[in-house]
Amino acid sequence: MKPVHWLDDMQPGEAVGLGGAKIGRLVEMMAAGVHVPRGFVVGVDAYRAHCQVTGLDERIDAALAPLPPDAGEDRVAAAADEIRAAFEATALDSELAGEIGKAYQELTDRCQQSDLPVAVRSSATGEDSSDASFAGIFETYLGVSGPDAVLESVRACWTSLFTPRALSYRLQRGISHHAMPMAVGVLELIQARASGVAFSVHPITGKRDRMVVEGSWGWGEAVVQGLVTPDHAEIGKSDARVLRYDTARKETISEFDNAAGRVTESAMPEELREARAVDDDQLHAITAAVRSIEEHYGHPVDVEWVIHQGHQPGDPACIVQSRPVTVAAQEPEDAPTGWNSAAFAGKYAFGGKK
Amino acid sequence: MSNVVPVDEFVTDEWYPGFKPEYGYTPWSVEPFRTFRKEDEERFWFLDFHWPRGLTPMGLIWNEDGYSWGTQLAAEALPLPPGRGITQRIAGTHTYASSIDVTDEWEIGHRHELMQRNLPRFLENFDDIWAERRNEVEAWWQHLKGFDLRSQSLRGLGDYLVKARRFHRRSFEIHFEIMYPLLANYVGFYGACVDMGIDPNEIAKFLQGYDTKIMETDRALWDLTRQARQSGLDSVFLQHDATQLRGALAERGGPADEWLSSFDDFLEVYGYRTEGSCDIALPSWIEDPTPALGMVKTFLQKDDNHDFDAALQETIAERDAAIDSARAKLTSEEQEVFDAGLASCTAANFPWWQDDHNYYIDLRVSLPMRWACLQISEAVGADRPDDTIYLFWPELMQVVNGEKSYNSFRSLVEDRRQYFDYWAERRASMPKVLGTVPDAVTDPILIEIFGLNDHFLRAVQATGSTEDVKSLTGVAASKGSARGIARVLTNADELHRVQPGEILVCESTSPNWTPAFAKIAACVCDGGGTLSHAAIVGREYGVPTVTAVGLATLAIQDGDEIEVDGTNGTVTVYRRAANAAEPVEVST
Repeated sequence: MKPVHWLDDMQPGEAVGLGGAKIGRLVEMMAAGVHVPRGFVVGVDAYRAHCQVTGLDERIDAALAPLPPDAGEDRVAAAADEIRAAFEATALDSELAGEIGKAYQELTDRCQQSDLPVAVRSSATGEDSSDASFAGIFETYLGVSGPDAVLESVRACWTSLFTPRALSYRLQRGISHHAMPMAVGVLELIQARASGVAFSVHPITGKRDRMVVEGSWGWGEAVVQGLVTPDHAEIGKSDARVLRYDTARKETISEFDNAAGRVTESAMPEELREARAVDDDQLHAITAAVRSIEEHYGHPVDVEWVIHQGHQPGDPACIVQSRPVTVAAQEPEDAPTGWNSAAFAGKYAFGGKK
Repeated sequence: MSNVVPVDEFVTDEWYPGFKPEYGYTPWSVEPFRTFRKEDEERFWFLDFHWPRGLTPMGLIWNEDGYSWGTQLAAEALPLPPGRGITQRIAGTHTYASSIDVTDEWEIGHRHELMQRNLPRFLENFDDIWAERRNEVEAWWQHLKGFDLRSQSLRGLGDYLVKARRFHRRSFEIHFEIMYPLLANYVGFYGACVDMGIDPNEIAKFLQGYDTKIMETDRALWDLTRQARQSGLDSVFLQHDATQLRGALAERGGPADEWLSSFDDFLEVYGYRTEGSCDIALPSWIEDPTPALGMVKTFLQKDDNHDFDAALQETIAERDAAIDSARAKLTSEEQEVFDAGLASCTAANFPWWQDDHNYYIDLRVSLPMRWACLQISEAVGADRPDDTIYLFWPELMQVVNGEKSYNSFRSLVEDRRQYFDYWAERRASMPKVLGTVPDAVTDPILIEIFGLNDHFLRAVQATGSTEDVKSLTGVAASKGSARGIARVLTNADELHRVQPGEILVCESTSPNWTPAFAKIAACVCDGGGTLSHAAIVGREYGVPTVTAVGLATLAIQDGDEIEVDGTNGTVTVYRRAANAAEPVEVST
């Protein structure tokens, strides 16, 4: 068993199986020509082995066995606490810890930066599936630096499989934790000029003729967590024309805090607050990537993107995550496919009654 | 059933003193026109803005030929999927209208299919259809205008009156045959635009800037104003009341004679027009030129001439800019929909037609019947020229056929005149709506022209005193804002009271109010939507306009200082006329 897999070593066909949904998709996207961060993944098998050899599996099963599917909040929370305490008390096997440390060292070498800050991302098997998105349930740690902190974050990602939220989400859907072993990606932290999300269809109306990009200065956490109102742009899919760009007043920024060694939220500098965060060239870079991803998968997607601080016109945008669109994915059934006087009159002219 | 306005006080079988029609008296297509019955309370009725004074017995013919015949026939012909047109009731002399709803789901679906087939055909051929219908109306008009009624016998006048009514009825068949499909197409385009994220306030602009017969009239009036100024006649106009102007000008002679000669040329082309829609009680400008002279007088009070060409160029530039700006925000797929929809609505342009057709139909259609009635009055020795319009159609037919002498109606006419005056007095306090107020209506004419949209329905449902109202809202019909003195008018006769820079507040406007838009600072209407007359003309003239305010004529008092925000659809009352000395009250 190889506990650690490099993104550029995995084949697209095996990547999701080895590295979970999130990291597996990065490999698939890379194969489709999309620019993604460099890094490796602590594989699904490593997680399984860790749970098995340390006896965690038994302790997890013991904690979960008495829980009925409709267990109350308190009982779920108690079970979750018990399991997480067990995870925290269980050290990594020294061989596994050594492999992870070695891989981190190699990543710093590849990126030519000592104590390279990395993003440590949960990548559970089956997360982001079209019927259960687990959106925002598992942890991501941005700006982790140094081998010990990386190990700590890997373990914290594993543990996040058993937060009360994750547990009740699975209970409600009848999903076993065995069905979604947790891989953890360790990726270079892209030095972000601006970050955000993008949708290959309009996320609210479901219109497929346009893409939507939302973004703000700095890292994407404030956007993803809804801590800031991002700039909003819509781009025509067939001609890549920017249809609108609404510049928001952005009060909060996620930035890398050197002292704390992680990405934290702070007040947006005044001069950036009402400045447009993404220029047309960057929008085109983002939407080109989104289009490639949607074409590759053959269904609408949303992504998290980062524009590098050193971004030059013509450079690609970096995609750090992608998943199938799970909300409002349906094309509105009566979306206009051309002008039809009678159809539009029927729809609008008679008080909504045809 | 909480929002029911009782009809009890208007329930009667008698239309006017001494007239209870027999069944089948009135022509109708689906449902006849009549007085209120108690069961009418289950339906929704709104006070029609077209006749603020009320209608005389002969005037009520419009309800029969226009609504009960014209709208119902057209609604069945297109057909309107959920409606069979408009029907109406009289309360005293005032008209309340309602839609006739189709309730059977299968039938609505069936009618929808028919409409799907018929509407595109109509739109593709609109130019030809409107040209043919216009020619038809024009042929009738020239025929009826060519008669010398003074040489006719009483029976001959009766024959003429019958023909004049056929022209009237045919005109309204055409009117609604055109109006429903044109409006339905426009509303469809409007809905598609809103769906594509286009600012609703921009949409009407896409179709503005096309000259109409009504604008042509206004332009000619301004030409006369310019001529009066150049001839140094300002002082004559400013020193005399509009009613005395013709005499004063004739007395002055010289350039004034020349001006009067130009004025008569103007009247020959544009003077066959009444100061209100479709009302036999109203004289044309030819019969009484006071309104036209009054307009020139108020125009002269403005410092500069209204530059129509510049205004039109500006309107066109604004249209093109609005189209470009809206298109830029659309995807290429949406642009295809938008471009085709705009092309369709430009070729069959509802806002344009809505103004243009008034010249051919609404403002002159009742004149031949009026001429016949006036001549009959003279022939039978009536006390006043317009006494015969206080007879109902079958009564007048009896007179012209020699079955009854006019003398037998003489005292009844006096009663009916008093009845008319009594109800004219009551107009201001008539309920805006009667019966059961619904959450929505389906007839596009009621929604878009009468403004019976959600906002209006909510406004009329609201109870409580209007005295304290400081801030009103309505449909943002024409952008911009202005502050000034409110002139609350009940009908167009009073337009001369409006001074340049004042704000017009009324139930609704009709084409004969159009010239006033060159002098007012803003306009507020109880009714109307984005397509009502005030909205269209407000945009053409760049006058901030708010429609569908619901209770503006009750909440705003003549002389109040108000601010109209046509961009956001709000009206703020700053100072009550009666308390003008008190500090300004700022609305919240």
